[in-house]
Amino acid sequence: MAENMEQIRKSACFFCHQNCGMLVHVKEGEVIANQGDPDHPLSRGGMCARGQIALKHHKHPARVNYPLKRAGQRGEGRWEQITWEQAFDEIACKLAKFREESGAETVCSAGGTHRTDDWARRRFMNLFGSPNVFHTSHVCWIPTFMIETAIYGWCAFDLDLPQSKCVVLWGHNPGSSYLPEMRSLFDMRDLNGTKIIVIDPRLTESAAKADLWLPLRPGTDAALALAWLNVIIYEGLYNQTFVENCCFGWDKLVQHMRPYTPEWAAPITWIDAKKIRAGAHMYATNRPGNIQWGVAVDQIGKGASAAIHARALLRAVTGNLDAPGSDLLCGPNQRMITDEEMECNEQIPEEKRAKQLGSNRYKLVAWPGYNKIAELTKRVWGKAPPAEWMCEAHGPSVFEALLTGQPYKPRALLVLANNPLLAYPDAKKVYRALQEVELLTVMDYWLTPTAMLADYVLPAADWLERPTITSTYGCSDFVIASQRAVQPLYERRTDFEFWKGLAERLNQKEFWPWITLEEAYFDRLRPLGYPANNYDEFVEKIRYDFPPREYYKYGRIGFATPSGLVELYSQTLEELGYDPMPTYVGLIDNREEDSELAKQFPLTLIAGSGFMPYYHSEHRQIKQLRFMRHQPRVQMNPEIAHELGINDGDWVWIETQRGRIKHVAELTQGVHPRTVCTERGWWFPERKGEEPDLYGVWQCNSNVLTSGAPEFCDPMSGSWANRGLLCRVYKVEKENLP
Amino acid sequence: MTRWAMVNDLRRCVGCQSCTIACQVGNNLPLGMFWNLVTTVGPIGKYPTLGYYHIPRPCFHCANPPCVSCCPTGASYQREDGIVLVDQDKCIGCKACVMSCPYGARTPNRELGVVQKCTFCADIIGQGKEPYCVSTCHQRARIFGDLNDSKGEVFRLVYEVNATQLMPELGTDPHVYYLFPHGGR
Repeated sequence: MAENMEQIRKSACFFCHQNCGMLVHVKEGEVIANQGDPDHPLSRGGMCARGQIALKHHKHPARVNYPLKRAGQRGEGRWEQITWEQAFDEIACKLAKFREESGAETVCSAGGTHRTDDWARRRFMNLFGSPNVFHTSHVCWIPTFMIETAIYGWCAFDLDLPQSKCVVLWGHNPGSSYLPEMRSLFDMRDLNGTKIIVIDPRLTESAAKADLWLPLRPGTDAALALAWLNVIIYEGLYNQTFVENCCFGWDKLVQHMRPYTPEWAAPITWIDAKKIRAGAHMYATNRPGNIQWGVAVDQIGKGASAAIHARALLRAVTGNLDAPGSDLLCGPNQRMITDEEMECNEQIPEEKRAKQLGSNRYKLVAWPGYNKIAELTKRVWGKAPPAEWMCEAHGPSVFEALLTGQPYKPRALLVLANNPLLAYPDAKKVYRALQEVELLTVMDYWLTPTAMLADYVLPAADWLERPTITSTYGCSDFVIASQRAVQPLYERRTDFEFWKGLAERLNQKEFWPWITLEEAYFDRLRPLGYPANNYDEFVEKIRYDFPPREYYKYGRIGFATPSGLVELYSQTLEELGYDPMPTYVGLIDNREEDSELAKQFPLTLIAGSGFMPYYHSEHRQIKQLRFMRHQPRVQMNPEIAHELGINDGDWVWIETQRGRIKHVAELTQGVHPRTVCTERGWWFPERKGEEPDLYGVWQCNSNVLTSGAPEFCDPMSGSWANRGLLCRVYKVEKENLP
Repeated sequence: MTRWAMVNDLRRCVGCQSCTIACQVGNNLPLGMFWNLVTTVGPIGKYPTLGYYHIPRPCFHCANPPCVSCCPTGASYQREDGIVLVDQDKCIGCKACVMSCPYGARTPNRELGVVQKCTFCADIIGQGKEPYCVSTCHQRARIFGDLNDSKGEVFRLVYEVNATQLMPELGTDPHVYYLFPHGGR
């Protein structure tokens, strides 16, 4: 095709991990328009506000376009533009020095919510010899994935909606965050009368459309799930055939669940017992049914694993597992090369695995638990989930190590697609920890608050400039391949190129045979056996691969657990030293146990909820979006606001025992009078970036209110709490108004 | 004869404002100008017995558009296919139409000294495309088409499912219809 003709490229939006299909119009190597791809199997032509502004993002004047090296003091905002060659040489040289002097484990890397090829990072780090790789996995899906895999051999995240009669959205708001999924729910409701239950403290976009809304007190999900189990077991609503034939530990579970009646749960959850029963009945009697994963349950902190565990058991006792219309155990992709198979996990020695920060404390999502899980899944599925996400250092523990030097002091932190000052709990502690890092590199689209503290800032390619493989990190059985629309502008690069550039300077050359990311991707897809000669051709002709559905796979291969059954009594968790059955654990700020604290901080807080049109801490510099939501809002009920003398639109302080931030009060009946909800990820790109302002990162950052201290984290999964903290709210004094 | 019309399915609209931004970006509107705001109604009721929904508000392309009859220069006009437009060369920015539109669908463009509004994306729909707000919608909550096409979805929703107009008592006969949520949804 002639260069000057308009071409349409099949890309994938990467502004969230739905990866909606995009048709990008390109002329003379420049993007001129993008539209939703109507033939995309998941997004079916839809495009949200973020997709709409892709070109504005692509050409935004504030983008980082060249490698930058710090010229002044840290945070002074003085940069020298350098070449990639220089950046690679200098960074690699320092990494080699750190490894030589204090061990490879002193080099750490923090990643964001995808946007990156995590297998490339792990490949580099494994070969380099450091186990200290982390995301925010401990509060996002990974606790769920690993606990469910411990119980029934894979995570049941593949919802078979077309045949479902009831869908539970648990701490999940697809009406704002997963728009294509919301459409499927509407379609199924219209077509089959599928019932929708929403469990959420807020009247969310999804809750407003639900058949039943259960507005629970933030963070008490475990109590609700346990009460549902109690109802289903003691009212005989369980699936007898399934528990008899496919489950291990039924009798123990029946005994264990006895105390958890709806009457017990009512005062904890703030939902009356009748309504708790109604929910349990609706889910258990409208079979087959689904429980969709929601991030909120992973963000409870100390009690997260009990909630996740109990929720998982609901599927088991109702037999809503791998049956038509239920939650399917898809297993890893059997035909392509998965992320895990690209990671070179065998290359990192046992002695280095043991140095993974936080792994002695939070065992399940680190090497001790991952080893067990990987062994079991390999036995049954032939493959393991990726170590990226499922086997990581614990972010807050890394920052702790930086501050205390215990058990050793990290020296380098390589950050990609992540903004740790907003992403991790106790943001001010993270800030202090970052001051201790000898080498901080940040690869990003923007000069973020964290990037302002960096020694090197590296320009990242956006989704128009990079190919994308959608396969849930190799954990789903399908794959969708998308191509880059254009080559990166300026000197932006993909993270693959970042790792490859370092790898080539650190004796890993033989492990990085690919010149382009497309070559690596095509190697991964080749085993699918489609007639394509290269990656772009695969995208243009084939695009995706969905294997035929196979239900009841456990009949053929069993469950990937020690007993080969669904373990209602989990031997894997027991072997790791954890509770084999879920036991209720109270919130980290516990009003029941600490009445003094409850008096000082009488309200219950959701510290940072996601909302349209932003994604985490992104997009505040895109004016079209900012016009829709220009400042952070805290939702609170008019009843309590009236008591506190707060009017709609007032700036208020939200304060926990850990710190305080400002938001604008939004009075709404959509939350309980004692619940307040702040927003996630606020910083202000229009403000001053230099120290001490850092784009106003301390003003409205919900993570000023949270804590990652061990006593507040979940011992099994490492989850820290953004839900159910105690707080107080009061008007901002005149002199402190922004 | 074609008669363009739109149905908004409020049972499906989640108020994500994708259409608002799609309209802004597609029509290259100045920052802060919206031809298609989505208004949230509610929450209605008292915690925890509540409901709320969202109303997208484009121009209604009425059959009896008061904005056309009040225009002193003839800049506001209606095409045969029902689309109401403003001839930017004739408009003097007097805002009489802004005052007369009962739905608040018209916006002055201060920079250009004219009044602008939703055009049903008249410049692209002839080419077999849907308006930006329609094609972008993940929920398929907006349905656009020819009201005179008895086999079309818009015809079915208006005449068989009884999609309703906003404030029909005004006699403007708007050609943007709504399917309201019912039963608390």
